[in-house]
Amino acid sequence: MTLLTSMLERPLDPGYQAAADRRRAAGRLPATSTRTPIVLVMVVLTGFLFAVGARSLRPQPTAASAAKAQLVQRIEALQARSSASTARLAALTGEVQSLEALSLRQSGAGGLESRSRSLAVQAGAAALAGPGLTLTLDDSPQSAAGADAGSRPSSGFSSGRVSSTDLQIVVNGLWAAGAEAISVNGHRLTSTAAIRFAGQAIIVDFRPLARPYVLTVLGDADRIRRVFDPAFAGVYLSQLHQALKIQVGWAPGSSLTVPGDPSLRLSFAAPLRRDVGSAPGPSPTGPATP
Amino acid sequence: MIPALGLLLGLALGLLLNPSVPLWLQPYLPIAIVAALDAVFGGVRAVLDGIFNDKVFVVSFLSNVVVAALIVFLGDQLGVGSQLSTGVVVVLGVRIFSNVASIRRHLFRA
Repeated sequence: MTLLTSMLERPLDPGYQAAADRRRAAGRLPATSTRTPIVLVMVVLTGFLFAVGARSLRPQPTAASAAKAQLVQRIEALQARSSASTARLAALTGEVQSLEALSLRQSGAGGLESRSRSLAVQAGAAALAGPGLTLTLDDSPQSAAGADAGSRPSSGFSSGRVSSTDLQIVVNGLWAAGAEAISVNGHRLTSTAAIRFAGQAIIVDFRPLARPYVLTVLGDADRIRRVFDPAFAGVYLSQLHQALKIQVGWAPGSSLTVPGDPSLRLSFAAPLRRDVGSAPGPSPTGPATP
Repeated sequence: MIPALGLLLGLALGLLLNPSVPLWLQPYLPIAIVAALDAVFGGVRAVLDGIFNDKVFVVSFLSNVVVAALIVFLGDQLGVGSQLSTGVVVVLGVRIFSNVASIRRHLFRA
């Protein structure tokens, strides 16, 4: 403790006191001037040292960090462009649909407009609103810390995380239970939509999703739950919840909306027969180039 | 006043010239700076105490820097460089703190 005590009690160099005592004994002032050349040189040197230290010890931007910053900038710019394009696409799709409806009305064939509308609903091109329920899936609270030691035969995935397979099974179960339209985190699921994974991320229609996964399901909520729960997908989901602590939340809603899928393309077309208004729809005759 | 101007002059020189520090010197730079800070605060306190001595100031400055660099060098050779650096920083940090506390007592009487 003597070291600490002496450091704290007399932090000043004892040399100062000793030199002052010597000068007093010699009959001079105890303090010398602070303006002697040697002090000036020393002080300039100190400032130089500080500046050099500050300059050279600051973390230098490396080539890798510069490249990373550039990539981040490019990604952000492209994301902004993508969302702007998506908004424009939605606006143009609405315009096209209204023009389509207008031209169908003008062609004079009754029922065409409503048929086109119902086809758009079935294909997922039109946004829908109505009663239904939302199902929220989220990773288990422990999965972030990796403390969950449970094992599931899905290598590469830490258990307790929602996998693309889970989402596929749940969505298929919902379709089977009578769901009329489903969107995941605002992405409409059409008959051609794919739920996949890339690394640890779930990809729907080539767009990565971030947890939590919110499925908006339109349809008769009571009936969907009644059919879904005892079926395979419902049992699977409750197993996920019990064994792996995956968070599952159901919420019925009276006015939910699902957006239309803006990326639909024309793959089949067929000419209408002459007796158009009354005849049932023609079957697709062949692929047309989109 | 003159020493403060000298300090500013040194800072300006270092920023303008921007010399590149050789790689072998870089590990000693932080410790040297802490040692220099200790000497500077010790000098300021001595001025306020009325016992400043230019020779003691210069010698304490140089010996502080040299001894600190030597300890770091020795630690690097022995494989305990970071621990010894920590020790140097702790000792000099305590000294700087108590010198600053004394300067504060002189300036603000508190």
